[in-house]
Amino acid sequence: MGLNYQLVLWNKHKKTYDKIIAAGMLLYIILFAATTLIFNSETSIETLVIRAFGSLAIIMLHIILVIGPLARLNTNFLPILYNRRHLGVSMFIAALIHGGFSMFQFHALGDVNPIYSLFTSNMDYGSLTNFPFQVLGFFALLILFIMASTSHDFFLGNLSAKVWKRLHMMVYLAYVLIIAHVFLGAFQQETSPFTIGIMVIGFIVVASLHLTTAFKERKIDNTKTEEKNGWLKVCHISEIEEDRAKIFTVENERVAIFKYNGKLSAIHNVCKHQGGPLGEGKIIDGCITCPWHGYQYLPSNGQSPPPFTEKVATYELMLEDKTVYINPKAFDEGTEVKPCNY
Amino acid sequence: MKKNDEFYIPYIDGSLGIKTKQTIKRFAIGSLIVIIIGALLFSFAQKPFKNSSFELISATKIIGVFHENPYPMLRVQIADNTYKNILLLGFGKSSANPFLEQIQNEVKNLNGQTLSIEGNLIYYNGKTLIQITDENKVTLLPNSSGIYPKKISVSKMTLQGEIIDPKCYFGVMKPGKGKIHRSCAVRCISGGIPPVLATTDDNNISEYYLLTDLKGKPIHKEVLPFIGKPSEIKGTVVKMEDWYLLKINPDDITIISDLSNIYSKTNSN
Repeated sequence: MGLNYQLVLWNKHKKTYDKIIAAGMLLYIILFAATTLIFNSETSIETLVIRAFGSLAIIMLHIILVIGPLARLNTNFLPILYNRRHLGVSMFIAALIHGGFSMFQFHALGDVNPIYSLFTSNMDYGSLTNFPFQVLGFFALLILFIMASTSHDFFLGNLSAKVWKRLHMMVYLAYVLIIAHVFLGAFQQETSPFTIGIMVIGFIVVASLHLTTAFKERKIDNTKTEEKNGWLKVCHISEIEEDRAKIFTVENERVAIFKYNGKLSAIHNVCKHQGGPLGEGKIIDGCITCPWHGYQYLPSNGQSPPPFTEKVATYELMLEDKTVYINPKAFDEGTEVKPCNY
Repeated sequence: MKKNDEFYIPYIDGSLGIKTKQTIKRFAIGSLIVIIIGALLFSFAQKPFKNSSFELISATKIIGVFHENPYPMLRVQIADNTYKNILLLGFGKSSANPFLEQIQNEVKNLNGQTLSIEGNLIYYNGKTLIQITDENKVTLLPNSSGIYPKKISVSKMTLQGEIIDPKCYFGVMKPGKGKIHRSCAVRCISGGIPPVLATTDDNNISEYYLLTDLKGKPIHKEVLPFIGKPSEIKGTVVKMEDWYLLKINPDDITIISDLSNIYSKTNSN
């Protein structure tokens, strides 16, 4: 959050996070290389590099993909989500080494441009088993490059959170492309139940965590309610914890209804920074604080405290017999709404 | 969602609670375990690599009689009455011809001339190739014409195997065959490296056939669609000392659905 874009500051936690990423990557490469050199010593250095970094990138991608749903299911995982971009950029570097070496190894120093060669050296686009799998890896790498190069808040601010988020949701397309790249490529020749098994298990873990999260959130969206003179019944006031919120869906938009200091306020649930769920946040220093990166909004008007300028839509609430009701019509972003006292 | 009283805010020191710390620690340890298991699984799952060699960083000088029949080779004496025909290759994915042009201008016919060539050796399973990276490392030895091998027609045969590029297969890359390597082999053969049919018989003995057209001329582009796929090829086998040639009509190449012995018997990269 800021008016001026500055270098990201590396606090103590970020440094620890980065050290763990670097140590993990190093551990993987050393273990892979040592095991290969000891037990399969006739390998070539190029193959070793291609395989070590390619498989490392795949494992890192799985770790990245489980962080989101884990953080949605248990807030204790949120600090890992906070620094996930570092993991993403590191994974891209591993994938780039894999792709770069492969590109040079298989397509450079030939009679045509390597990029042209990538798309034309195998023309069996109509076949599944003979499909030019390297093309799939190339597009996945391109997506990862776009994501890694726009991972800074500078792009987030300039592209808008919505566009940025959509861009970064392309990680799922990259994941599909990478799975196809591996199954139609390496696994066609290096068929092993262990590596196929680890990929299948990885997919099941990623898919089931996402589905569990989706079902849980769908429950919120599909909650049936009563209407009273245009107001929608939300819940009994006791169902909302102090300084916390209840997420409620009105007109296909999630709203966070906060209870704090004898008052109730409702704002749009989506943080302007990265689309974080504000309703899973907390009131800190009188501000609604996003659980993802700590962006803050005033509950009464959905505005970030000055000098910051982010604004979200606000909603009107009504309390009757300790039951909370909401007016489904959203006010413009940053509109002042008198909190509902209880 | 599991609620908890701890609430981490990146810019507030001390906001990382004990439970959150424990969760992160467990996640980090879990990830490291996945990393270790992954490294071991992916490493151990690799098929054994061949003991083929490519001497990338050391140069070897060989002296022998040049012949282009149809692919450039150097016939090198390795013992009394024993010769090895070393296949000449260019740098990267190219034929040796561009590196021989300079010397070809010096004599009318380079065939039968003795040359000294310094390059990087590639060898596996009795076959030797050399990569030339500098045309100045190819020297014509004066007054030294020699004998080059005769070709003896063996028989018409139908062979199963895979069309490979010999440079990668015999040492530069591992694996130098199959789907993973197909694009590279296409590039190599398209660039002028001779196509070779690699076969393995029921006794796990491999043989290699330099592919030519029916007139014994070089072929490259015609075989590109079949490279790196199990294939059956009809042709006439011709023996040329330690190499076989296979004269083919590219229309007689058939992709076979079952894996040829090159996969099932050798089972290595």
